[in-house]
This record gives sequence, C-alpha cells and structure tokens, in this order.
Amino acid sequence: MRPIWTGAIGFGLVNIPVKMYSATETSELDLDMLDKKDHARIKYLRVNEITGKEVPWSNIVKGYKLDNKYVVLEDKDFEAASAEKTNTIEISDFVKEEEVSSLYYETPYYLEPDKTGARPYKLLLEALKKTKKVGVSAFVMRNKEALAILRPDKNVIVLNKIRFEQEIRDPDQLALPNQIEVKPAELKMAVTLIKQLTGKFNISKYKDTYTDELLKLIHDKAKGKKIKAPQLKVVHSKAKDLMDQLKASLEVKQKKAS
Amino acid sequence: MNKKNATTAPKESKVGNDKIYSFEKNKVIVTHFDKIYFPDEKVTKGDVVEYYISMADYILPYLKGRPESLLRNPNGIKEKGFFQKDAADDAPSFVHRKQVHSDSTNKEVHYIVCDNIETLVYLNNWGCIEINPWHSTVEALDKPDYLIIDIDPSDKNTFNQVIEVALTVKTILEKAGASCFCKTSGSSGMHIYVPAEKKYSYDQVKDFAYLVCMMVHDQLENITTLERNLQKRSKKHIYMDYLQNSRGQTIASVYSLRPKPGATVSTPLLWDEVRPGLSPKQFTIYNTLERVKKMGDIFKSVLGKGFDLGKCLGNLQSLSGKVASE
Repeated sequence: MRPIWTGAIGFGLVNIPVKMYSATETSELDLDMLDKKDHARIKYLRVNEITGKEVPWSNIVKGYKLDNKYVVLEDKDFEAASAEKTNTIEISDFVKEEEVSSLYYETPYYLEPDKTGARPYKLLLEALKKTKKVGVSAFVMRNKEALAILRPDKNVIVLNKIRFEQEIRDPDQLALPNQIEVKPAELKMAVTLIKQLTGKFNISKYKDTYTDELLKLIHDKAKGKKIKAPQLKVVHSKAKDLMDQLKASLEVKQKKAS
Repeated sequence: MNKKNATTAPKESKVGNDKIYSFEKNKVIVTHFDKIYFPDEKVTKGDVVEYYISMADYILPYLKGRPESLLRNPNGIKEKGFFQKDAADDAPSFVHRKQVHSDSTNKEVHYIVCDNIETLVYLNNWGCIEINPWHSTVEALDKPDYLIIDIDPSDKNTFNQVIEVALTVKTILEKAGASCFCKTSGSSGMHIYVPAEKKYSYDQVKDFAYLVCMMVHDQLENITTLERNLQKRSKKHIYMDYLQNSRGQTIASVYSLRPKPGATVSTPLLWDEVRPGLSPKQFTIYNTLERVKKMGDIFKSVLGKGFDLGKCLGNLQSLSGKVASE
C-alpha cells in the first residue's frame, strides 16, 4: 500500500505523525470501450464545438457561465480560492459516534503511525475505545477542506471522511407517512419478527457476486463456446490412447478453423 | 565491462546501504546492497543485481511479455524463500502488470511482467534471486512458446544418469522430428525445451510431453519414473516432469541464478557438451557472462520455429509400432 497523505494528528498538545492509506478498493471490473467491428479501443477527443477540430490541452481553459457569458478561471484563481495547505488533522471535538448520522459518512482511510508516533497513537486509540467517542476534525486534503471523524477500529485508527451539512439533501420533498398512527398490536408483532431475525452483523456473508459472475462469463467466453472436453485422465492412458487423443485434438482445431 | 549494442550501463550512486541505479528513463533503488545472500560464497544482494544487469540483454528476451511468479529470498539462500504472484499496487510505472484470472482461486492476480531492465532490478531488490517466467506470453496466455521436460533426479542419482535420460529424450524427440535444446536446471537436474511457437494449447503440449516421457521411460525403466506423488515415487529414480507444461507453472528461466549453494546459474548447453563428466555446478554467477559472450545465446531457437504435432505423432506412431512388434 502506498500512503496518499502524510502529516500528523493534532490532539491537544500532542502531535502524532501518521500516514494515510485508502481503506477501500473497488471490486468493479475495468472494461474498455471497443469498436464492435474490429475491437479497436475507443479514444476520446476534445473538439471545438463550433469548428469540430481537436483542441490541444494547452489551449483548454475552464470557465463558469454567468449571465450568458463565460468567466474564465486561471490556475492562480483556483489557488487563491483553495484552502491553505496544512499537514495536521487537528481534532477539535470528541463526540459520541452514534450522533454522527451514517448519511454523512464518506470514504474511510487507515491512519498508520510513524515510528515516533507509535506510543501516542496507541494512547489515542485506547482512549477512544474506552470513552466510546470519536474525534471530529477539519483538515486539508488535496487543496480542499475536508471534514472527518477519527474512530478506533480494532487496532487501527480509521479516518472517515464525512460530508458537510450542505451536501445532504432535505427529505421534506418526499411523501412520508407522518400522519399515520401505528397500532400497538401490529408494532408488537413487527418487533417480535425483528427479534427473531436478529443476529450478529457479518459482512462476509454478503458478496458482490456481480463482478465474479461477469468475470466467470468473460473467461468462459474467452475459452470459446466449445463443450468442455472431459479432463484427461492421464493415469491409466497408454501411449497409444494418448496419441489418439492428441490427434483428435488436432482434428477438432482443424474443423473449427475451416 | 565492455558491452557492445548492450543496454546502456546505468549510472550508480550510493546512499547509505542503498544503491540507486539511474537508467535512461527510470531510477531503481536497491536497498541493503551489501546484504549477504550466499553466505558460503560471500555473494551479496548487490552481486546478484550486478549479475542480472550485466546479463540483461541475454535474459530479457526470455522474460518479455511473460507473467512472473516471484520466488523471493529476501534473507538470502539459507532461509526458505516464498512464492508471490500478485504484485503490489504501488509498483512504479515502468513495472508492467498483467491481470490474470486464477481459475483455482477464482481471483484476479496481477502478475508482474518483466519487460525491461528496470523491472529486473526491481525484482532483484524484492529478493528475487531466481527468475520464474510463464511459458506463454500475454499475447497468448494459453499457448506456450515451448514444451518443457524437467529431468529431476533424486539424491541417489548421479549426474551421469541425468545425462543419459537427457540424451534419450533428445533421441526420441529427434525421431519424432522435433528440435530440442537443453540447459542445466542450476540445481541437480536438466531442462529440455522444445520450441512450440504458440501453436498448441497447454493440454496438447503437456500430452505430447507425457507421450515422450512414457517412451523414454520404456527405454530407461530402471532409472526413471513418471510418478508425480512424492510419497509413492521411488527415492532412487529420476523424475521426468511433464506437468510443468501447464498454464501458470514456472521453472527457473534460462540464465537465472538459483538460490542454491555455489550461486549456480541455469545455463544452456550445446548437445555436444552433454557428456558424462559434465557437472552442473561449474556454471555459476562468476563465469556465465564470459561464457555467453564467447558462445553467444545458444538457447535462442527455443523462441523460434515450433514443432509440428501432427507430423511428430505420425513419426512416433510408426516408431512405436516397430518397437511393439520387436
């Protein structure tokens, strides 16, 4: 694993030097777009909408449409607007984890202590576990302000990026059954049902089977649709059988080619 | 070292225990350069790296395009090495990788493909003393470039017996009409290669190898065995391994060092050299470059024109007919 960020956790007067790693990876397949006819790869061209001609990167700028006119932004404009770069994840508050709605959760990252940070890292980890709290921190990642909580997960401190409030939509436009009264007997029945089905959460039970299925199909396709020849039982076959078998395998190939 | 037409020698700079090689385009760092890999010979990790850099022009043609099974000995040859197939995500960009589906585990494996000298050094830095390429390339993973018969003696066999088996394999293959080439395994055995030129599937190649091995076994019943089960295999016989001809199987490449006492190299031989008295221990890290400079790459044809299975079968059939009627 390669760290994607290096810095320190700021926790009171203590600085814990850490490296940050992605805690997740995608389980999707990389598929390429191809021309149906000759399987050449499809490539993107950036073209001028009016002339239809390709525009080189050096001639491309970014703009924002304001009152039907484009305001063009340059590198220094972006720089001016971006957050000041710091290398500290400063913990400002500690809160109960259940107070943070799962709506806010974004990507998780692992934090690994540098050699010098091992002791305070462990201390923070144990203290978080003991208090059952998580740390809240605003910090700068890739020039952007980011919000995160730091929480213990077994023996590692996980930094979970969380969304800002303005990124969450208000659900008041949904038609929700706020006025309907629930009957006590019905509720009791539903609760009983839930209790019956209650178990320990076990993530290993759930697999992303789509990718696996797709891959299997890809490999089957690649091998051709021919009926799978029964596995060769080499143990008992004599030289002659083997010769016949090999000859047959050559004939199959010729038939297929013609 | 004078190397004509060779890869330009990299610039080197030493930082502490590490050495940085600057090739034309990329830098590769070798850590713990002075670590002892072969204690008896005092051969270091750095010596291994230097060997492969000096041999790069000869060995790379046999590695290019082939997924590598990494046999890592990061603590030298006195500790047992381990195999690794999946490459780390953080490999530098010059290290090419090939995603291959493993049917046995139903997982995607990202193999390193050693396409350039930088990758070779990178692998060495990972503790790869031995280099283990696939027998097929990414162009056609299911169609091997060569057939291999691995002649693997027991402790009780002499190298002269190995030579006897090798020469019998050669005789049968010649009668079949297939040209074949041999190299020392770098350990106690020999490898015989028959060019196959991506024409046949692994199964076809394996079956043909099995056929040849059976015929050799008929000739040398008292010293050879085809029993793959180690428990059942006689401790006094030479095992002829044709099962190496399978997708994903690997053996030490030609010109590969072996993590064995003596810092031996898997060295190609002319058939004229395969005579009683030959010792595989004479080919080592110390003299391989000199030998290959003098003799050229005598293994080249292995990647050349392949055998014709149909013709070979015809030839062998008439041969076995004769043997049977005798």
